[in-house]
Amino acid sequence: MNDDLAIEVRDLVRTFESRKGFFFGEKTHTEALKGVELNVGRGAIFGLLGPNGAGKTTLTKILSTLLLPTSGTVQVLGHDVVKDTSWLRSRIGLVLGGERGLYNRINARENLRYFADLYGIPASERDRRITEVIERVDLTWAADRRVEEYSRGMKQKLHIARGILHRPEILFLDEPTIGLDPKSARETRKLVRSLVVEGVTIFLTTHYMFEAEELCPRVAVLSKGKIVANDSIAGLRSRVGGDRTIEVEAYGFEDREIDRLKGLPGVSKVAGEAFGPLMRLTLRVRTDDTTPETVQGLLPGHPELSVRERRTSLEDIYLDLVEEEAQ
Amino acid sequence: MTLATSEASRTRATGASLRLAILLFVADPQWLVPSTVAPIVFGLVSFELFRGEGPYFLTYAILGAGMMSMWGQTLYGSGWATGQDRNLGTLEPTIQAPTPYLYVVLGRIIWNVVAGLFGGLVVYLVVVLAAGGPPQLPNPLLFVVLFVFVMVTLASVGVVFAAAFVYSRYAGFIQNVGEFAFYIGTGCMFPVVLLPFWTNPIALLFPPTWALDALRYVSIPGYAGFGWGWGWDLAGAVAVTGVYAAIAGTVFTRVERHVLETGDLSDY
Ligand SMILES: Nc1ncnc2c1ncn2[C@@H]1O[C@H](COP(=O)(O)OP(=O)(O)O)[C@@H](O)[C@H]1O
Ligand SMILES: [Mg+2]
Repeated sequence: MNDDLAIEVRDLVRTFESRKGFFFGEKTHTEALKGVELNVGRGAIFGLLGPNGAGKTTLTKILSTLLLPTSGTVQVLGHDVVKDTSWLRSRIGLVLGGERGLYNRINARENLRYFADLYGIPASERDRRITEVIERVDLTWAADRRVEEYSRGMKQKLHIARGILHRPEILFLDEPTIGLDPKSARETRKLVRSLVVEGVTIFLTTHYMFEAEELCPRVAVLSKGKIVANDSIAGLRSRVGGDRTIEVEAYGFEDREIDRLKGLPGVSKVAGEAFGPLMRLTLRVRTDDTTPETVQGLLPGHPELSVRERRTSLEDIYLDLVEEEAQ
Repeated sequence: MTLATSEASRTRATGASLRLAILLFVADPQWLVPSTVAPIVFGLVSFELFRGEGPYFLTYAILGAGMMSMWGQTLYGSGWATGQDRNLGTLEPTIQAPTPYLYVVLGRIIWNVVAGLFGGLVVYLVVVLAAGGPPQLPNPLLFVVLFVFVMVTLASVGVVFAAAFVYSRYAGFIQNVGEFAFYIGTGCMFPVVLLPFWTNPIALLFPPTWALDALRYVSIPGYAGFGWGWGWDLAGAVAVTGVYAAIAGTVFTRVERHVLETGDLSDY
C-alpha cells in the first residue's frame, strides 16, 4: 500500500452474468474488465479515456463502492472497497450524471437537503453548505425551481453539487459532459477544473481526447476492459514523435492497393474508415521517404483521389491505441 | 466516526426520508384521489357484505375494509417507494451515501403508516355514515391502540417488501402476485381460522396475523379466533415483529451485497 496513491487497482476483473427477461431468455456473460492495473496519485484530475463499452462506468462504480469486483484488489484512499465500504462512502463523491438520479418533483435545494442528511452533514452547517454549493455550480437563480424544469446542463450541475456537498476527498465523474450542449459542456469543464484547486482528487472518465487533454495532466486509456496506456499528456504527445499522417480519400480501394500502401517505407499503420461511398485511409508514417506524391503515384485510376498530409494529433494516438487493441 | 455521530445520522436519515416522502406527496397530491376513493368503495362494499351478520357486523365491515385500504398504503407503498427509486435512478446515489438504506426505508414507512391511518379513518366514517351510527365497541380505547399496532406490524412486512425491491426490479411482479394471497393469508379480509388448517402456521409467520386476531378479540365479543386469547396474540405479534426488526438490518446488508455483486442496482 502506498499512502501517496488515491487509487490502487490490481488485476481487477469484473464479469456480468445477465439474462434477458425474468425466467426465460438467453444468458449472457460479459467480461467488462479484464485485469485492470492502475495507480492514481492524489490531488489532480486523472482522466480515464475510452470508447463506449470500454468499461469506464463499470470501473467507476467499483471504485465508488456501487459494484463489487469479481476478482482482484481495489484500494481507494488506502482502503479496500470491499471491506471498508462505509468508511469510504462518506469520503467519496460520485457523479453519474444524466437525466436520471434526481427527485424531479421537488426543487434543487430540497434534493440537496435530503442528501445532506443522508451524508450526516452537521445540521448547523447544512443550509449554509447547500447555499454554497448551489452558488458554486451557478444555480442560485434556479435553486427553488422544481428539477423537472431543469435543462440537461442544469441537471448536470446539480449532480455535481450533490457530489461535492459533503466535501469528499475524491470525486468520481463519469462522462460529465456527455449529452450536454457545447456551452454547458464548457461550463462543466470549467467547474471541474476549479474543484481541483481545493485539493480534491478527481477521477474523470470521457470518450473525448480533447476533454482529457484540456483537463487531465495524466490519462489512462481503457479499451475493451484493459488499460492500454497510462501516461502524461506530454508522454502521449511524445509518442507522436516524428510521425506524420497522410490521409487518402477515394470511392473505394482494392485490397492489393492497401497492401501496396502498407509496403511503403516507414508506414507503420493503415487504418480505414468509410463515409458513405467515400473511403478514407489514414497512414501513419515514420520516415520522410514516403510523401503524398509517392502515395499518389501508387494509386492510379482513381479520378476522385485526394491525398493530403496533416499533423498527427493526440486524437490519432488515442484511436491507434483503441484500434490496436481491437484487432 | 464515533458510534454517537453515526447513530445520530441514522435518525437524521430517517427524518430526511420522512420529510422527502411528505414533500413528494405535496408536490403531487393527485394520488390523494385514489387513496380516498378506494377506502370509500371498500367501506361501502364491506358494509353491504357483512350487513345483517349479527350485532357486530359493523365492526367486521370496518375491520375488513380498513385493513384492505391500509394494506395498500402501508405495505404496498413501502415496497413501491424503493421501486420508484429504481425508476428515478435515485437508488444508486442513495445506496452510495454512508447511511444504511434501511433507515431511509423506515422514514417512508412512517409516512405510509400515517397515510394508511388516513385510509382507515375514511373507512370508519363511510361505514358509520352508511349505518347511521357508530359500531358497538366494548373497549374503544383498546380498539384504537390495537388498530395502530396492526399498522406497525403491517409496516414490518413493508420493510421486507422494500428489501425485495432493492434485490431486484422484478419485485413489483412478485408483490403483485403475492399481494392477494398474502392479504387473505394474514386474515385481513376474514379471520385466518376460517382458512384450511395448513395455511395457519404460514400465516403465523406474519406479524399482522397475530395483531389482527388480537384486534378482533377485543372488538367482537364471542370471537373465537385462534382460541388462545388476545393477550397471547399480542405477545405473538410483538415477538414476531421483534424478530423482523432484529433481522431487518442483516437482511438489508445482505441484499445490498447481493446487488453490488450482480450489478443489478441500476436496473429499472
Ligand atoms: N449491469 C450490467 N449487466 C450486464 N452487462 C453490463 C452491465 N454493465 C455493463 N455491462 C457491459 O460491460 C461492458 C462495459 O460497460 P460500461 O462499463 O458501461 O462501459 P463504458 O462506460 O465505458 O461505456 C459493456 O459491454 C456493457 O454492455
Ligand atoms: Mg459509461
